[in-house]
Amino acid sequence: MRKAGVACTYAVLVGVACGSSGTGLSPNVIALPADNVAEVSVDYGLPGIGYLNGLFATVTVCVPGSTSECQAIDHVLVDTGSSGLLLLGSVLTLSLPALTDDKGATLAECTQLISGSLWGPLRSADFSIANEQAKNLAIEVVEESTYPMPTSCTGTDYGDPNDLGANGILGVRTSLQDCGPPCSAAVGRGSENPGIYYACSSAATDGCQPTAVSLAQQLSNPVAFFSQDNNGTIIELPAIPEEGAPSVLGSLVFGIGTRDNNGLGQATVIPIDLGAMFTTKYPTNGNAVTAFIDSGSNATYFLDSGTTHIPTCFSAKYPEVSAFYCPTSTQNLTARILDYTGQGGLNVNFGVANALNLSQYNFAFDDLAGPSGAPSSGTGFPSSYFDWGLPFFFGRNVFTPIEGEVTTGHAGPFVAF
Amino acid sequence: MQTIPLASTLFRNMLLPCAFLALLFGSSPASAALGGDASSIGTGQTHLLASARIQRAATHVMHELQAPTGTKVREYLGNDGKVFAVSWQGPFRPDLRQLLGAYYETYLQAAKGRVARGPVNIELPGLVVHMSGHQRAFYGRAYLVDRVPQGLSTDEIR
Repeated sequence: MRKAGVACTYAVLVGVACGSSGTGLSPNVIALPADNVAEVSVDYGLPGIGYLNGLFATVTVCVPGSTSECQAIDHVLVDTGSSGLLLLGSVLTLSLPALTDDKGATLAECTQLISGSLWGPLRSADFSIANEQAKNLAIEVVEESTYPMPTSCTGTDYGDPNDLGANGILGVRTSLQDCGPPCSAAVGRGSENPGIYYACSSAATDGCQPTAVSLAQQLSNPVAFFSQDNNGTIIELPAIPEEGAPSVLGSLVFGIGTRDNNGLGQATVIPIDLGAMFTTKYPTNGNAVTAFIDSGSNATYFLDSGTTHIPTCFSAKYPEVSAFYCPTSTQNLTARILDYTGQGGLNVNFGVANALNLSQYNFAFDDLAGPSGAPSSGTGFPSSYFDWGLPFFFGRNVFTPIEGEVTTGHAGPFVAF
Repeated sequence: MQTIPLASTLFRNMLLPCAFLALLFGSSPASAALGGDASSIGTGQTHLLASARIQRAATHVMHELQAPTGTKVREYLGNDGKVFAVSWQGPFRPDLRQLLGAYYETYLQAAKGRVARGPVNIELPGLVVHMSGHQRAFYGRAYLVDRVPQGLSTDEIR
């Protein structure tokens, strides 16, 4: 990948399109500051955290209607894998009004992440970033002091900043709401409602009960509520050297094709299904595995050691490093990205470094990778996913349009890069 | 409502080596916990009120529950009638406390030290837990290493 870095520098010098993986993708030009451009960073993260491959933005929230009761909150994780703004109550100093149901009970949510949950009441805020604003946005304030976390809200509790490693999550994924129509269905036996939204009438153990919420009350991609540039986002990060970088600055651009700085250009469009999935083959003639692009995943997570023949890391002192691959030397691999039906597509190069040999001074890596926990062999339900995490974003402009929004003539949901 | 243990008993007595059956329950319970026995099937909760499919193999019986939420949960019972593995896939994550049963706290403790910000890949002596996905598309599986029947590859647990 060091060689790719050199080639890339040359390409930039001569004004040629350049991606970190050298496969002729859309130009990796980082948008300059503008009304629709927020600076984002990949850095150490909050004090004491040392977050590997965390993409962070600073957001501002205000009491609805106020221009003085406002708070800027840094190190909010930019996540293309979820929809909605969640802020940790421990850092929020504003008093924001609660969202309530028609009986006056406070609405709350058990937001599901891969392995755990974020619990807290829904509140209303005026949200702004760059020069874009969404008024009266429903957000989740992650805290358990007002209403205890219900026992039905399970998995790792990410309400602790040490576990989340960020002050919140800015979810800008392709689906508008985090749940959608199922959460608007009446709860009860046989209902399609998953019961992740709650109505809280007291702080007692059973004071919060699953409830139906309208689409408007659900946590949603805030970008859709901007008055302009509201059909999606682009994440633009520069290519980085093989040894990684202590920090990286990039741009989070709002709108796709709404201004002269956010056109789709020559980006490759990959149609996705309702779960925002496409497929990926590794090796390029291997089995098609369901795949997604997720800025909130900090590595390229794919297949397992048995399939890739790459060992996972082992450390008696830090057993958790088994989450990453540890090849004897950095592997430069090629996978094929296809649409959700397994058609079309293009080859993408990616690196797999020895995660135990990473520089301890760097926090941005384009070759951090690990197993996703299941083999690719066999067919049918279920197999694990090919998770193109943050390494995929370095040296690329990655487009995440919001479902149902008009984007430059492409029918159906898609991602592009 | 029709209970799944009855169905599994039925299939245990059938000679077909690999029989599939789709039983549509209008409403009914849910899942057994990891390490629990078949009698814990039916003590479930609303999320998993489900239709069921049962697959019998030489080494185990697999129950697949399709919840109205769209999420499928599979439970693998050994010939001793104990659940040695569970898996799930769908738009919403099932109740892990219920599904992992006595191993839920073990899982939580192991997950505390995680440095990965992505899929779960926990491999403890005796317990393996994998989870992946993102909002509206979750996948996971957990199995008890020592209780996976001889002759069954863990790759088959999915």
